[in-house]
Amino acid sequence: MMVNIRVNGKQYKKDIEPRLLLVNFLRDELNLTGTHIGCDTSNCGACTVLMDGKSVKSCTVLAMQANNHEITTIEHEDPELDAIKDAYVEEQGLQCGFCTPGMIIESFYLLKNAGDKEVDDDYIKKNLRGNLCRCTGYRSIIDSIKKANKNIKEREEIHVSR
Amino acid sequence: MYLDRFVNGTGQYIDDLKFPNMLYMSVVRSPYAHARIKTVSGGLNALEIKGFYNMKNDDNAEPIFAIDEVRYVGQPVAAVFSENRYESEDLIEGVDVDYEPINDAVTTIEASLKSKPIFGLKNNILSTTETGKTFDESEVKYDIKVKDTIDIGRVLANPMETRGIIADYRNGVLHIYVSSQSIHRLKNYFVKSLSQFGISEKNIVVHHVDTGGAFGLKAAMYPEYIAACYASMKYKKPVKWIETRTEHINSAHGGRGIRADITVYAKNDGEITGLDGDVYIDNGAYYVDTASDDLGNVIHLMTGPYKIEKAHLYGHYVLTNKSLNGWYRGAGKPEAGIVMERMIDLLADKLNMDMAEIRLKNAIDAPFKSPLGLEFKTPAKSLLEDALKYFDYEKKAKEKNVGIALFMLDQDAAPGETCRLIVKGGIIHVYFGGDVHGQGHELFARSILNKELGVEEDKVILELPDTEILKEGVGTWGSRSAIIHGSALIKAAELLRKDAIKKFGKYDKDILLNNEFDELYYYKVDYNEYTPNFNMVTSDPHDPDSIKIYSYYDIGKKLNEKNIMGQIEGGAIQAISEVLCETIRYSEDGQVLTTNITDSGLLTADKIPEFHTKLVENPSGFTDMAKGVAESPSTGIPIALARSIEVQLKTRINKFPIDRLELFNRVL
Ligand code: FES
Ligand code: FES
Repeated sequence: MMVNIRVNGKQYKKDIEPRLLLVNFLRDELNLTGTHIGCDTSNCGACTVLMDGKSVKSCTVLAMQANNHEITTIEHEDPELDAIKDAYVEEQGLQCGFCTPGMIIESFYLLKNAGDKEVDDDYIKKNLRGNLCRCTGYRSIIDSIKKANKNIKEREEIHVSR
Repeated sequence: MYLDRFVNGTGQYIDDLKFPNMLYMSVVRSPYAHARIKTVSGGLNALEIKGFYNMKNDDNAEPIFAIDEVRYVGQPVAAVFSENRYESEDLIEGVDVDYEPINDAVTTIEASLKSKPIFGLKNNILSTTETGKTFDESEVKYDIKVKDTIDIGRVLANPMETRGIIADYRNGVLHIYVSSQSIHRLKNYFVKSLSQFGISEKNIVVHHVDTGGAFGLKAAMYPEYIAACYASMKYKKPVKWIETRTEHINSAHGGRGIRADITVYAKNDGEITGLDGDVYIDNGAYYVDTASDDLGNVIHLMTGPYKIEKAHLYGHYVLTNKSLNGWYRGAGKPEAGIVMERMIDLLADKLNMDMAEIRLKNAIDAPFKSPLGLEFKTPAKSLLEDALKYFDYEKKAKEKNVGIALFMLDQDAAPGETCRLIVKGGIIHVYFGGDVHGQGHELFARSILNKELGVEEDKVILELPDTEILKEGVGTWGSRSAIIHGSALIKAAELLRKDAIKKFGKYDKDILLNNEFDELYYYKVDYNEYTPNFNMVTSDPHDPDSIKIYSYYDIGKKLNEKNIMGQIEGGAIQAISEVLCETIRYSEDGQVLTTNITDSGLLTADKIPEFHTKLVENPSGFTDMAKGVAESPSTGIPIALARSIEVQLKTRINKFPIDRLELFNRVL
């Protein structure tokens, strides 16, 4: 079947098998291999992407369900996403890197949707429960997200003359 | 740098590589824990490949594909191939296997010991080994004898990236790309296992690729790898196999799985005079070489930091109807520490002694040759004293929820490691013999070369080696990376400097970077380093969020502090889950009850503990002065956490995971 899926701002029209999972669509059809597969039971979050701005596990969404929707992956170019990536590098919020794209997309999502909630350990921990990391023990990931939040906030602040 | 590559999603992990005409391999696996195979039809199976993969061709070696019999759920029986990933899975349905189930499976050490022989031996013990000298009770001076059985459940590596391989036979050469800790170790296995198919050492090249975690798993050989290689040679196409998580849980080799029946002899003042007993390892269904490292570590290291005169242990390899034993972070070292420390705490309770006091009483205070055959050069007592003081143990112990751990970290420094440096195009390309899979080798490679050679860090790149560019190498495991790669690198850098001076009369970084150089150094070491380390844990068992981890680790020299902290934090969460809930569960008839990665017991971000860490720097004798760290949290934290829970619950803890529903529910 034909699908029209917008990925990272670019429109893709492809003829696909109805059973194709979104994660395989991204990885195999579009060669966007930054989105990873860590399980076959929707437990790990390595495959996390945004669909119309909401975080989803792309191994649990059929590509055809993404028809006429907008997908954001780790390959997306965006200054806020870049700020998060920088913070992960500074804080060494990764070791083997396999969970990292999913973690960063989830971080992007939880920072964008914090509203007036404080981005503290509690808020981050609660919202990171869908993503497993076997290497870091999460401490450095949480610190990376806090750092990213700070960097983004600082950048947004404008200079106001008295 | 790897950090940039990974945050941008441009890492090249094994499943990210695609070659033209590549076939995907899917594996048909046994649904039974023990059955006879009457017939198999379809796919690639033992009718065509009647061979073994683990370099041992006796009755208890595992075949590549099951021959006449299956011995565990998940055992490979056949493989199917297609250019389409989904279709290859569909083809599994087309393979017909006629099984005749045998209802005698055993899935625990106890069941196997009690059962009639079912593996064609006189009993279900594959073999027995021993350490130390046997002694008679009358030869030890003792007032008290304590006995217990410590059980440590099976824990699976479960790296976020499962196992995976691409075998590509082209122009008479088999190129193997594999997610790995050591392409050199794997190459050895490949050469031995593939010789039966007529391919020789000179025609096999193994390539390292970005590796998404390993924890011991990815240093071993597996039947699927040989099947993929065979298929690539047969079909003359690249063949890719990527393990699903479900396959991982059923079939990947599992770590821990130890039972120890131990007796400790002591005097009334707490002095331990003897230790003996039997240690059993859950070997799985066939002979596997990794089991001898796991069990060997347990029975050599058990007396650890303590001055015990007499000790003797038997080690038994017990066959069970499970996937085979494999390495998991620490590979026998944590088990040794856990058993010893559980026994010391038991003794302290019996003698009504303080747990620190009894350890101080027995800790070695001078170099000591252990009765189990190891030479410990670094005494443990002074470190224990310092650590207790540093964390104010006296005061915390009054709060009554403290557990402590003293252990010797065995760092697998021997036999050393290789490093090759190629300078070209203004960049120093670094190749290490041990394959990085999350230890940040590149970070210390950059800082060391900056210091040794004065080059900017961004002129240093850690490359992924293959067995051609680096003919020899050892591996990344056993808390050895910082020690051995750092040292090999310093030596190779020295060669670069000398070479530059020889050719150009002097050294400066521009001479280096503007020219081409190629140096290889094999840093040889013939001993392991043993370092005493300490942990303390406080907790409230009704609130796992309350866990506080105190680590007092001698790391020789800090090469990169954030990186060290990451190793401790990562090890800590694994240690906590191992104590509370992590294991692979089997039904009595051998079905795997653990159905997914969460079910395995891995913890999520909301379960992280609080950290208090003191890194001590007593330089090692290695060139870069570093000591290891990665297996310290895996050893010390389970010990101290178990005790801390025991103190609170006032219930003896001798089984891991503790698996008490009230704790389990709190955590998951
Ligand atoms: S791949 Fe594990 S949740 Fe999607
Ligand atoms: S960094 Fe390895 S799984 Fe998270």
